[in-house]
Amino acid sequence: MKKLKGYAGKILHIDLNNMTHHVLPTEDYYEWGGGHGFGAKLFWDLCEDIEAVIDGRDPRNVITIAGSPFSGTNVPSAGGRCEVTNVSVGLIPRNRFTRSNFGGHFSSMMKHAGWDAITITGKAPYPVYIDVRNHHVMIRDASHLWGKDTHETQQFIQENVAKIDVAAGWNAQLDGNDIGRTTQKASVLAIGPAGENQAALGCLIHGAGNAAGQGGNGAVFGSKNLKAISFIGTGSVDIADPAALVKARFKTREFYAVDVDKSTNFTYNGLSAGPAAITFSQMPTEHRASSCHGCVNGCKQRNAIGYGNEVTCQTSVWYLGAVRSYKFGGDAKLSLHNRSIDLTADSLYAGDLANRLGINTYAIMALIPWMQKLHAKGKLGVGKKIDSNLPYEILGSREFADKFCHAIATGTDIGAHFLDGVVPGVQALGHGADVDNGTLDYPYYGMPEHGYDTRAELEWGYATLMTDRDMNDHALNWIYWTVNLAKLSGIDLPIPAKEMATCFVEKMAPYIKPDEVSAMDYASHNMYSEVLARQVQWVNHYGRFWKNSALMCDFRWPDCVNLQREDLRGATGNDEVGEHVWWNAVTGEDISYVDGIERGRRILNLDNAIWVLEGRHRDDAKFADYIYDKKLTYSKLPTFLWPATNEAGEWDYRDMLGRSHCREGVETWKSHYYRAEGWDPDTGWPTRALLESMNMKEVADRLEQVGKLGKEG
Amino acid sequence: MSMNKNSSEMDTGRRHFLAAMGGVGMLIGFSGTAYAIRDDKVYIKSSGGALVVDLKKCMGCGTCMTTCSLVHHGKASLSLSCIQIEQDVFKPFPQDIQMSTCLQCHDAPCVTACPVNANKASEDFDFVRDIDPDKCIGCMQCIEACPHTPSRVQWNPTTRCAQKCDLCLNTPYMEEQGGIGGVQACRRVCPVGAIAFITELPEQSLPQNYVVNLRNENWAKSGKTIED
Repeated sequence: MKKLKGYAGKILHIDLNNMTHHVLPTEDYYEWGGGHGFGAKLFWDLCEDIEAVIDGRDPRNVITIAGSPFSGTNVPSAGGRCEVTNVSVGLIPRNRFTRSNFGGHFSSMMKHAGWDAITITGKAPYPVYIDVRNHHVMIRDASHLWGKDTHETQQFIQENVAKIDVAAGWNAQLDGNDIGRTTQKASVLAIGPAGENQAALGCLIHGAGNAAGQGGNGAVFGSKNLKAISFIGTGSVDIADPAALVKARFKTREFYAVDVDKSTNFTYNGLSAGPAAITFSQMPTEHRASSCHGCVNGCKQRNAIGYGNEVTCQTSVWYLGAVRSYKFGGDAKLSLHNRSIDLTADSLYAGDLANRLGINTYAIMALIPWMQKLHAKGKLGVGKKIDSNLPYEILGSREFADKFCHAIATGTDIGAHFLDGVVPGVQALGHGADVDNGTLDYPYYGMPEHGYDTRAELEWGYATLMTDRDMNDHALNWIYWTVNLAKLSGIDLPIPAKEMATCFVEKMAPYIKPDEVSAMDYASHNMYSEVLARQVQWVNHYGRFWKNSALMCDFRWPDCVNLQREDLRGATGNDEVGEHVWWNAVTGEDISYVDGIERGRRILNLDNAIWVLEGRHRDDAKFADYIYDKKLTYSKLPTFLWPATNEAGEWDYRDMLGRSHCREGVETWKSHYYRAEGWDPDTGWPTRALLESMNMKEVADRLEQVGKLGKEG
Repeated sequence: MSMNKNSSEMDTGRRHFLAAMGGVGMLIGFSGTAYAIRDDKVYIKSSGGALVVDLKKCMGCGTCMTTCSLVHHGKASLSLSCIQIEQDVFKPFPQDIQMSTCLQCHDAPCVTACPVNANKASEDFDFVRDIDPDKCIGCMQCIEACPHTPSRVQWNPTTRCAQKCDLCLNTPYMEEQGGIGGVQACRRVCPVGAIAFITELPEQSLPQNYVVNLRNENWAKSGKTIED
């Protein structure tokens, strides 16, 4: 393969066992794209004994933080995303190779420092942090940082890095034989006390609130005695066709992104969404929308109240139900039916607290109403069956948030039960039935429900079962927010359901034909259809390359429906501003939109091979019992509308509340999916023919050694 | 905000006094930079335009920076950008962001500091303060002379030349014509319209005069302040 532009050319391998670093040529990994592709292949190459690493805290675990050719460029909503891969902590029925992703400016600074990715093996003998200044790599003592929160840690390192002032406001960094200059602060990724204590609920934090946590990434850092990674760079990213890149970005700005000075279009995700803080509460007007590097419109915020910067989305709501309960009564379960400014400050405070301590707020959100119920029943509290000194009578207050988060981060009090994950902890406490019956909504793999129950939003659960974690892919979820928020706000959404479905289906090449609109029919009579298996294939393969590897933001891509456009057709797949246009302009390759999806298929198959080595079998892929046994009655919005047909074949937005899955149906759907992928339907394992057709003979050989190749045909 | 161009007649009386007549002979000897002589004094003619910014509108995406370096150098770089967005994500709004653009100073200390007239204000380009990389000898005196922090004149370690905002006069990687009357890449690409172009330069004694309010009623509908 020819030398590609867009890459820095080097991957940094840190060996903490020997406290050394090595350079791996990026060229050896081109075919995997970047991000997740890099992480999967590096894991395959560097993990000494994949089958034996059954917990992410094993020193043999390999954690990779990877950028892409887009990192550090102005490719819209792609320049600042970063992928994290490693073996998980705290999942069931077993840990597995998994992923997370965060935004901000880390991957862009890593690229400007001259690195495409950093991969870390082993365990340091004492607390360390990695300090990279352009090509200069240092593994430094972090004893003085151990115990500090994520914000303090970053600020300390940034101060240390920016020491040499060469001109007013410009700092010097050695850059080869010359001295580069920058006005920028170092970009730092850090853990807080939760990660230090190797809590499964620990996450990585960059900036004030960019987090990667679903998979116990913080615990992995902690287990390696790794406190932080810092990059400062004064270099640049070479671009194959800069004029084409600039031209496409101008077009995106003018014809696909919202014009904030003129437009009042209502939309949630996608390129046409406005620069708005996603906090689910009413922000004081004194704030800005803030964004990751290169974003077309930011979704985070920084405010004037002195805390809560970059608290966004999930982090802004993990305590929202509790705050409402404390102030206005009722239970602490999240509801977004009404928004009140009275709840905002306390919610931002709680989000900030979790960010500082480095806690994955997804994992703890469902614990709040569960603990409230147990306390009300007299089963949780001082001297109770579950003994805890937390002030549950003021659950929802700042004081409770402080004490609860401290307990989770330090593994003390109630937090001692959840060091190995929420579901294992709940089971050990004798309350496993609460997971089975949905009192705690952890529907798959011991991971919390993301807010989009699979009994309604089918693809969310299906794609999760076929991969490694709560999938966190909003490709189709645009519909949930746009349609249901419009309904809640009384906005007349001018897109009939069938047209909405058609717009999405048109982007689903190569798996769905443009006239197979039933691929977006979420009616109960279509829940287990073969076409829905191919739809999920598209979600998984598109996501594995364009989002997880090329690192286009999940909130902005794919852009299937765009309300700035008269024809409503989004940028995805478009030959002027679509995904492949950016890839080709940056790298100099000449690939199509579908070529990228095909690369995603290959990456997913490498993932699956790793999962199979780790013990995965078809039987693992199942929902918690309540998904089958109980009807969905709860939605954080009043409705759960999706495009669906009735028995007469008439399309409309129909409420998905009130239904459940059936076990046989899900198994039928799984068989469709396995056949579509070419995996053995009995086991879910890939076949030799499939792997060799994707130039992965080495992977097939490895699976054959352990007797885990799928049966052909 | 006025979009009218300056006339050279408007130059008199402004704070761009350069030198007493004693220096005229030497100054006139340089090619490139346009000077005006008034009242026995020599002035650099004012730039026909400059960029202004809204610190409360910027969202810190840095797209302006990498687009600036792309159109000028064909590379995505923060260090080579002529607009510098500095952020401290831990500070409260609005102190968390600083936007630094070249003010196209009336008295142009960077121009006057240049010993070889590589840094100039040419009549051909509406007096935009611009550096000719072919002439620059890399002495860095213009960088030192810039009175602002961060210095609006940057060091390019690859070419070993100084560079500064030329309002996109010299942009080999942008299809559109840049410069005054043309496109400024940072302004055009900014997702929220936090950068604007003006033709009547403000009083330059205070850089905050280049900080403006670009937020309208539509911005207020998004729940964010439109107050200064």
